[in-house]
Amino acid sequence: MNVTSKFDIIVVGAGPAGCASAYLLAKAGFKVLVLERGRGAGSKELWGGKAYAQPLREVWPELDKEAPIHRWVSKERFSLVWGERALTIEYKLGRKVAFTTYLTELVNWMARKAENAGAIIVDEVRVDEIVVKEGRVLGVKSGGDTVYADAVIDAEGVNRLLLEKLGLVEKLNPDHIALGVKEVLSLNPNLIEERFMLGKDEGLAWFVTGDVTLGLPGGGFIYTMRDSISIGLVLPIGPAAKAAEAGLLKEHVSSLVEAFRLHPYFRNLWREADVIEYGGRMTIEAGLKLMPRKLYMNGLLVVGDAAGFLVNTGYTIRGVDTAVTSGKLAAEALIEAFNNGGPTEENLKSYEEKVKKSYIYRELKNHSSIGDVMSDPFFFQKLPQVAIRAASKLFEADYEEPKLIRSFLDAAREEDVSSLKIIYKLGRVVGKL
Amino acid sequence: MSSQASRLKVIKLGELLQRSIWDVDEERHIEVLKQEGLRVKALILLCPMGCYSLAGDKLIMSYEGCVECGTCRVLSGSDQIRWEYPKSGRGIQYRYM
Amino acid sequence: MRIAVGIKWVPNTQAVRFDPETGTLIRKGIPSIVNPHDLPAIEMALRLRDAVGGEVIAFTMAPPPAVKGLELALGMGVDRAILITDRVFAGADTLATSYVLANAISKVEREYGKVDLVVFGQETIDSSTAHIPGQVASWLDWPYVYYVKDIQVLGDGRIRVVRELEDYIEEYEIELPAVLGIAVRALKPRPVSLYNKLRAKLNKDTIVVWGNSELKLDPRCVGLKGSPTIVAKTIDMPEVPRKKEVYKPRDPRDAARWIVSKIVEDEKLRELLVKKLWGG
Ligand SMILES: Cc1cc2nc3c(=O)[nH]c(=O)nc-3n(C[C@H](O)[C@H](O)[C@H](O)COP(=O)(O)OP(=O)(O)OC[C@H]3O[C@@H](n4cnc5c(N)ncnc54)[C@H](O)[C@@H]3O)c2cc1C
Ligand SMILES: Cc1cc2nc3c(=O)[nH]c(=O)nc-3n(C[C@H](O)[C@H](O)[C@H](O)COP(=O)(O)OP(=O)(O)OC[C@H]3O[C@@H](n4cnc5c(N)ncnc54)[C@H](O)[C@@H]3O)c2cc1C
Ligand code: SF4
Repeated sequence: MNVTSKFDIIVVGAGPAGCASAYLLAKAGFKVLVLERGRGAGSKELWGGKAYAQPLREVWPELDKEAPIHRWVSKERFSLVWGERALTIEYKLGRKVAFTTYLTELVNWMARKAENAGAIIVDEVRVDEIVVKEGRVLGVKSGGDTVYADAVIDAEGVNRLLLEKLGLVEKLNPDHIALGVKEVLSLNPNLIEERFMLGKDEGLAWFVTGDVTLGLPGGGFIYTMRDSISIGLVLPIGPAAKAAEAGLLKEHVSSLVEAFRLHPYFRNLWREADVIEYGGRMTIEAGLKLMPRKLYMNGLLVVGDAAGFLVNTGYTIRGVDTAVTSGKLAAEALIEAFNNGGPTEENLKSYEEKVKKSYIYRELKNHSSIGDVMSDPFFFQKLPQVAIRAASKLFEADYEEPKLIRSFLDAAREEDVSSLKIIYKLGRVVGKL
Repeated sequence: MSSQASRLKVIKLGELLQRSIWDVDEERHIEVLKQEGLRVKALILLCPMGCYSLAGDKLIMSYEGCVECGTCRVLSGSDQIRWEYPKSGRGIQYRYM
Repeated sequence: MRIAVGIKWVPNTQAVRFDPETGTLIRKGIPSIVNPHDLPAIEMALRLRDAVGGEVIAFTMAPPPAVKGLELALGMGVDRAILITDRVFAGADTLATSYVLANAISKVEREYGKVDLVVFGQETIDSSTAHIPGQVASWLDWPYVYYVKDIQVLGDGRIRVVRELEDYIEEYEIELPAVLGIAVRALKPRPVSLYNKLRAKLNKDTIVVWGNSELKLDPRCVGLKGSPTIVAKTIDMPEVPRKKEVYKPRDPRDAARWIVSKIVEDEKLRELLVKKLWGG
């Protein structure tokens, strides 16, 4: 084979979606080329920290034994913080549902699986263009070099330079996108287990809302890794940019993350920990709104974040399992298409049908109105204040403790919000979560 | 023991950037083409790596610390900012993310 | 023309951080890269090949992960690459390193034919001795020019090389084969290209690995054993917090006086300078 020979399939992007497709297609005997702009797969990846295992096992049944799993999530925590006060709920899981790890590591593993299955992975190469002629995708171009294939899988992630160029999607709307800013804190595993009350190999996932985002839409996350803790904030870009322009956000985002690390409620969990890495990446706020007009065209399939397949429930981000699942569905659709005469537009339609029948699409639909919650300042300002005030009435009574309902009604009155409005809004949000 | 010492001190952005690793290209991959209409305040506060700053009234973009997140691209028009990924695998090299 | 280009796989020192808590350098988890100053040397070799034909061979003495670095060189357009790796080569100082590299060049000549030119970078970012190119030239007994900015092939087995120094330019005409050290930033390196990278991936034999069973060098002359250099003492320079003050006098002599007075008045700075200049 030489460089001008044609491949069966070219995958753009060695992220979770691209690797899953490449692995399954290579395993099925296709000539697969994966092009990745980073140095080694995973070097451009950043996430919160928790992957749902079952969808991944469907592609790699050996996941539990082989994948670089740091800790199995045994506890989920939720906290509402405002000022000096905090309200926390914790749930102890009964089985191994999700695990924590570095996405850089996980993706590197996925890429090795694809490579061992026979896919050719070429890194350090940025694809500049998907080559189309008369409505048919012929291959991809990087610099002056074009490589041809019967089909191209676009797995470029959320920042869709190629799909935009192709005219398949619009430029991203800041209201549909969030910015994640993250720190990794190195900490001795024994200290992690002691402080978070975890067994060996057990992990914790923690979602935080309240004034860690200065009342802006969004929230904070904490994940325990093997010997580090990942913390960070996710801020929808639209509202954050408006707040910056209106003078409501005065500090740089990194100061918000630092304030989170140094927050009195959390800081003693990692007081000795050194920040070993700092970075940021975009994620999807409203998945359905990002979905391309079509998930396929003659010779092209779109998978993962690039297709908007990320379920943002407001308290968890599920993008990796959905990316892997869409990658799997794309591989299945392609294999069928090749058996039926080739990856024509007609033959690739089955991909979209498969997606619409899968849990990804149901989940996206299910959580599609979370965007309304995420863009409503009420949920990030008034509501946490009322809740914290109510809790303070319950727990900070020197003599007489009010009844639950009384403390809530008083808190609402003192914060100058009607309790009916709260109940109405809460009713709506519960329906959406 | 020194490793037990508290590290609960604010780390300034400049120092935070020291914690991550880049292989910086000689060639810039992001460039401000036209400042008019740019959401300057948002860019300065939201670019997680502080790549945007003002020198007087002029917006300066330092591409060296960019993590290629795309935020500035989403906040700007393509006639205002030229935005590409770095070539040859250069740019940010995440390790523990 | 057959051109060999030496590259070194170095830790990305930009990322090496000083831990004030423990007083040591934090090197853990620092990925390695091709020594950035070697990229102009690769570029120089490729331009010469593109102009007069022939092949470019990249070689490095390094542990196995350096294959990634050779892949980058192949991606830029180098024709083949050699990884020189063996446990007995470990712990080498510049003398033992250059001995292995020079012998590798001789083996290249035996395997692939006469080598006309060996190019190196100016220095490395992790040791910066700039010893290697000169030492390799000595072992081979070939002429050596350092700090080269430009090369012209004259066609009669000679080349003209241009060195650009601080206030003058030198031109040498030298006979091939020769060894050259290419100046930092002499040329802008080309990016990795899809075809080159793909070609390297598809042809597994573009990278060969040589250990000492191939080079057959006396184990006493390589690695730690072949390294006479001893590190007598290392001094970690304390981190100096930066301060910014702006003084804009009209007369530059006032600026000089101002700077001197700053140094004289600031006890910490004074101590530091004394330490730096006279080792305490
Ligand atoms: C702050 C944050 C927290 C998150 N938390 C979680 C979480 O806890 N759990 C979870 O499941 N998900 C989480 N996600 C989402 C998850 O990371 C993504 O959904 C997932 O990575 C998407 O996978 P993908 O393969 O579609 O795209 P990506 O992972 O983005 O991969 C795309 C790949 O393509 C490459 N590429 C892009 N353009 C080109 C080009 N032109 N040429 C060559 N290569 C190219 C990129 O370098 C990259 O390797 C989070 C995301 C963020 C930002
Ligand atoms: C006092 C001292 C003690 C040392 N002790 C040890 C030790 O115990 N263990 C140890 O591992 N190292 C040790 N080193 C480091 C090692 O000797 C040098 O890193 C190595 O010999 C290359 O020297 P340099 O980095 O200064 O290269 P320079 O001479 O500055 O490099 C110039 C050019 O030579 C080429 N080049 C350099 N190295 C290679 C290579 N390996 N392969 C191909 N081309 C190359 C590159 O083109 C480079 O740009 C020591 C160095 C010194 C100064
Ligand atoms: S891409 Fe992200 S990190 Fe880079 S300059 Fe834009 S906002 Fe900053």
